Amino acid sequence: MKVHIKRWHAIAQWRWDTGAADADMDDGDDGEGDVCGICRVPYEGCCPSCKMPGDDCPLIWGECTHVFHMHCLLKWIGTAASKQQCPMDRRAWVTAERKVATTGS
Amino acid sequence: MGSISARRLAKEYKELNSDECPVGIKLLQADDFETWIIAIEVLGETLYKDEKFALKFRFDPQYPISSPAVQFVVDEKYQAPLHPHVYSNGHICASILGEGWSPVLSVPAVCVTLQSMLASCKKKERPEGNDRYVRFAPDNPKKTKFMYDDDTV
Repeated sequence: MKVHIKRWHAIAQWRWDTGAADADMDDGDDGEGDVCGICRVPYEGCCPSCKMPGDDCPLIWGECTHVFHMHCLLKWIGTAASKQQCPMDRRAWVTAERKVATTGS
Repeated sequence: MGSISARRLAKEYKELNSDECPVGIKLLQADDFETWIIAIEVLGETLYKDEKFALKFRFDPQYPISSPAVQFVVDEKYQAPLHPHVYSNGHICASILGEGWSPVLSVPAVCVTLQSMLASCKKKERPEGNDRYVRFAPDNPKKTKFMYDDDTV
């Protein structure tokens, strides 16, 4: 039997590169993938203050390796109660420099 | 609605009503995203065997950036547990409810911490200065500056 493909739709998916090993495999039962620990919305969603996911609601990485929506983390760090500590491990928050892969590797 | 707290609390509401809800914790009342009442009991051989307590959580629109106000319910039906960190008006001296709060904590996480606070108790007694504290205590326990000087209980 021969199959002729007459038409096809390309569908793209994007994900933040959080450095988590096998992020694709890590979807869990809810299929939501990893969530921001502060708002509990998936990284690929946006923080509660934003309407559109993507470049306008980016992630932020700490040197402690913890990742949050940037807006969520900044709201926390902006409070006196935070003592400028990471919500996960209470170490002093230091934003990590992210090396962006430009060669598409 | 539409606040940060409502979206976060909607997720926690789902969790508390699912099989992921920790053992001994039961959501009794959550009519809005401001005040929740949660039943809590400590399982196993502890000083609080067969006792049932209720916790009242009050959230402001900035939750979870700002901590919830958490206290034991004291009314005709419930009493505050007799514990060195729990005042007779239900106010609780626990660091995670004050300066140890973190926005990655949640209602179930707070309940589990309080369960283990009760479970590890060795002597049922009120905190020192209970009567004086209760007489002058503000309605909202978040307005009290507690001193966390005892890590052992």
